[in-house]
Amino acid sequence: MLKPATRAVAALVACFLGPAAAGQLTYSWPSNVGPLNPHLYAPNQMFAQASVYEPLVKVRGDGTVEPWLAESWSLSEDGRTYDFALRPGVTFSDGAPFDAAAVKANFDAILANRPRHAWLDLARQIEGTEILGPLAFRLVLKAPHDPTLLELALPRPFRFLSPRAMGADGTTAAGIKAPVGTGPWRLVDTQPGVSDTFARNPLYWGTKPAFEQLVVKVIPDPNTRVVALQTGQIDLVYGAAGQIPSEAFLRLRDMAPAFAAAVSPPLATRVLAMNSARFPTDERAVRRAINHAVDKDTLVRTVLDGLEPRADFLFAPSVPYADLGLRPYGFDRAAAARLLDAAGWLPGRDGVRMKDGRRLAVEVDFVGTNAQQRAIAEVLQADLARVGIEVRLIGEEESSILARQKDGRFGLIFGETWGPPYDPASFVSSMRAPSHADYQAQAGLPEKPSLDATIAAALAATDGTERRRLYAELLTTLHEAAIYLPISHAVAIEVHRPSITGVGFGPTINEIPFVAMRPAAR
Amino acid sequence: MTTSGSLRAARPGLGPLAVPGALAVAILLLTLLGPLAAPHDPLAVDLTARFEPSSLTHPLGTDHLGRDILSRLIAGARTTLGAVAAALALVVALGLGVGAVAGMLGGRTDAVLMRLCDVFLTVPTFVLALFLIGAFGTGLVNVIAAIALSHWAWYARIVRGLVLELKTRDYVLAARIAGAAPPTIFVEHVLTGVLPPLVALATLDIGHMALHVAGLSFLGLGVQPPTPEWGVMINEARAFFWTRPLLVVWPGLAIALAVLAFNRLGDALRDRLDPTLVAERGL
Amino acid sequence: MLRFAAVRLALIPPMLLGVSILVFVMLRLGQGDPALDYLRLSQIPPTDAALADARVLLGLDRPLVVQYLDWLRRALQGDFGLSYVTRRPVLPELLGFLPATLELAGTALAITLAVSLPLGAWAAGHRGRWQDRLVRGIAVLGVSLPNFWIAFLLVALFSVTLGWLPPMGRGTGRGTLTHLIMPALAICLMSLSVNARLLRASMLEVGGARHVVYARLRGLSEGAVRRRHVFRNALVPVVTATGMHVGELLGGALVVETIFAWPGVGRYAVSAIYNRDYPVIQCFTLVMTAVFVLCNLAVDIAYAWLDPRLRLGGEEAA
Repeated sequence: MLKPATRAVAALVACFLGPAAAGQLTYSWPSNVGPLNPHLYAPNQMFAQASVYEPLVKVRGDGTVEPWLAESWSLSEDGRTYDFALRPGVTFSDGAPFDAAAVKANFDAILANRPRHAWLDLARQIEGTEILGPLAFRLVLKAPHDPTLLELALPRPFRFLSPRAMGADGTTAAGIKAPVGTGPWRLVDTQPGVSDTFARNPLYWGTKPAFEQLVVKVIPDPNTRVVALQTGQIDLVYGAAGQIPSEAFLRLRDMAPAFAAAVSPPLATRVLAMNSARFPTDERAVRRAINHAVDKDTLVRTVLDGLEPRADFLFAPSVPYADLGLRPYGFDRAAAARLLDAAGWLPGRDGVRMKDGRRLAVEVDFVGTNAQQRAIAEVLQADLARVGIEVRLIGEEESSILARQKDGRFGLIFGETWGPPYDPASFVSSMRAPSHADYQAQAGLPEKPSLDATIAAALAATDGTERRRLYAELLTTLHEAAIYLPISHAVAIEVHRPSITGVGFGPTINEIPFVAMRPAAR
Repeated sequence: MTTSGSLRAARPGLGPLAVPGALAVAILLLTLLGPLAAPHDPLAVDLTARFEPSSLTHPLGTDHLGRDILSRLIAGARTTLGAVAAALALVVALGLGVGAVAGMLGGRTDAVLMRLCDVFLTVPTFVLALFLIGAFGTGLVNVIAAIALSHWAWYARIVRGLVLELKTRDYVLAARIAGAAPPTIFVEHVLTGVLPPLVALATLDIGHMALHVAGLSFLGLGVQPPTPEWGVMINEARAFFWTRPLLVVWPGLAIALAVLAFNRLGDALRDRLDPTLVAERGL
Repeated sequence: MLRFAAVRLALIPPMLLGVSILVFVMLRLGQGDPALDYLRLSQIPPTDAALADARVLLGLDRPLVVQYLDWLRRALQGDFGLSYVTRRPVLPELLGFLPATLELAGTALAITLAVSLPLGAWAAGHRGRWQDRLVRGIAVLGVSLPNFWIAFLLVALFSVTLGWLPPMGRGTGRGTLTHLIMPALAICLMSLSVNARLLRASMLEVGGARHVVYARLRGLSEGAVRRRHVFRNALVPVVTATGMHVGELLGGALVVETIFAWPGVGRYAVSAIYNRDYPVIQCFTLVMTAVFVLCNLAVDIAYAWLDPRLRLGGEEAA
């Protein structure tokens, strides 16, 4: 509602107000980046760990793997042994050489804390490591594990710290001496609550960043972040859609050329998982009817501001092994009504369907403070009411929702796949863990045990064709059982000031391609 | 506290009570009528009608989910003021109870109860409210409890002071000599002297507590969306401020009006009921 | 007066102890499972084994009294435990954020006193006329507007539209004031209004007192009367109220810090509450209480100094 003239003036002023020192890129994050221990989790922030530490291999946009700190590798016949040839001439930022000894020291430190990494299959599967030569490293697994290379590419924990910077006795679980990695950036300053500063690593083996310094300001509030970008306090907003409100994103995009904005290709999938072990979602007809009853296009257009594409399946067809040509459950109220009628659910006096004296009422559980989940839940309530399904909204705190996921105390609950490179292998692997919502949602299916067996087989399969067949079987079964209500595909967004250029999207959401960004020519 | 006689004598008649009283009553009525007064369902989402401007059906327009803003404001009054009313009821009950017991019984009971009050009074009210939310979690009920527990101790002290003073009055002494039991003395003689100033103070605190409720909800620690509450509405509207600034303005104005009305009402009540309190609270 | 101050100082530790017990008991009574929160924050899947490990790690498996005494023993040595979120010692982190909040609240207090006192005196001096009504009008508005709302509107106007002031963060050196002014203004408006009205009412009351009348009779100018007799005596209730203002200003700072990305205790505490980071919540409450108590002590000393009857009588005011 601010007049266009005022907006133009504001934008112009914003351009000149920025404090950008020469060679400095200013970014923001909701919290400090943490101590940057490469082998641990919160409060270490993934994007920062990924900027300072590097993996043996990296993942490309198409899901394949490219050499990084490992130049090449070979896999044994039985699929259990990987031999890596490490890249020569790489040093850590403290001068220590990157070699097989350093790699082994890191693996030892990680495996010394194995229970902490139990969420990741690879950590469980590693039997041992060996140094074969100064730059030759061997990794031995207990059994063949197809996603090994993908999991080695993750931002944590399999990245490398200088052995000189490890904690006592070469461990890292209790802390490290300094965050020294091989990556393009080094952490040089931390001010709690204010900012973290990274400097370009002069010893970096690859393409060095164009900026000398990367300053990450601590801004927890998304609205404050918008203001910060507008007034030049930061140069860039980048990340999952929650970084700034989508309405603000659209407005900034409309203010081009004062700001440049872009949306990434689809990443993870936002879904609701339906509990097959609980009434009334234990009936397939009900789950299918729910899938048909939701007007996803309107939801995406209004609640998500059209930023996220509609999702019809658990994994987008672009995800490896997921291009199966399955028929989606389209928005079709009549079809939903027919399914429910045929299953014996007849409309009661107040419009809610009934069978055997029981109302067709489902519970939707979401995190109360998450505005987006709440909005989607409310839309679901409205849409499902139109076909005679009553929805109870349960908005609770995050830890309560987490507990519900763990125990299976939910009707429909929000979930997300993990995005590349976790999808599909690591994600489907987690479906076998009882503490995950997916397991609980699937628990009521008679075919659950065979689903789990299929997953295990797919992860262990060494033959590509066999693997493809197994994934197809798994995903088709899940789709036919209508265990999930896919809503949309999460995307990443970025907005930047014209003073910088080269801002693109990396293959994964947790790593930010700062290295490709450079100051715009004046 | 030194006063050599108040300059403003208590004025008879409704006079200064009229305007704020009417406004406060209007707000109260709206609050109580709640769902009946609101033209639309405050929770009804209609994605085809987002951000509609003022019209006959939607006098203040609609919000980002197509919900009628006026209805949400009215329902918000219910939530905010209802929470305040509940908290106040608890505060008055606790304050009256503890203060009366301490004042009437004296001795060790008094000392113990006053130490307990002191502990609560040592913590600044908002910090205590935040802490209680941290301990018990968010949500409307916990907000009411947090506000109540952070404010009661001050009232208990006031009540105790009043009780101690009233205990020395002639008619109370006479009742004691006549052999009446403390509870009877309290209810029949002391209570009438305690209630008016208590009510005046409580009314003065409505605005202050409403701001705390809104503040907690604004931080996301109080009432949770989609329950309409003014602080929550301001927080939700922030994301849309640049294109639709009125969304932020309406709930803020609503808070301001309600606080204003009850403050003035409280002022007028206080002037009427006990002018010497002007120095106590500093309002 | 030294004895007065000493007595008050000596009372502080038992008060804090009482508060610490209250805090500890309330926290344990609350719902939520700190072990589950800890796992969630570390992004470890909450299996039963992990939960059991976490419970032992956090010491949640021992009886309540033991937990409290243990905590007390460590607290007296300055160890308030590790934050569940950052895994760093809580007290140093909190104390690191405290100066920023004190700076904000202190500035707000300074503005409150600097503006409200002249305003209140001005209004009292022109009682019933437009100056008086203007000040009372401003005051009435000031106590009604929510501070977070004002804060937001200030940013919208002065940062985004006009571009005059920075919208967030704490400045250093020459930038300090520009960063401070908006948050401090948003916080102090309510206390400023209350104080102005209080001073006005107080001055009007004192103005009719006997010693003032005598001073006028003696031939002192109105200005001298006001300065020497009315103002100083009228300050008394204002000084007492300052203690209450400190509490309100601290509370206000906690709320607006989020909007201004101010690196203070408020933001730290609010996120600790979201995350159920109990060690932080506990330490925060105690530290803020200690600050509040010390401020009140300062206020009481100022009050005693201002009121000679107290100073000379050597007794506490009721």
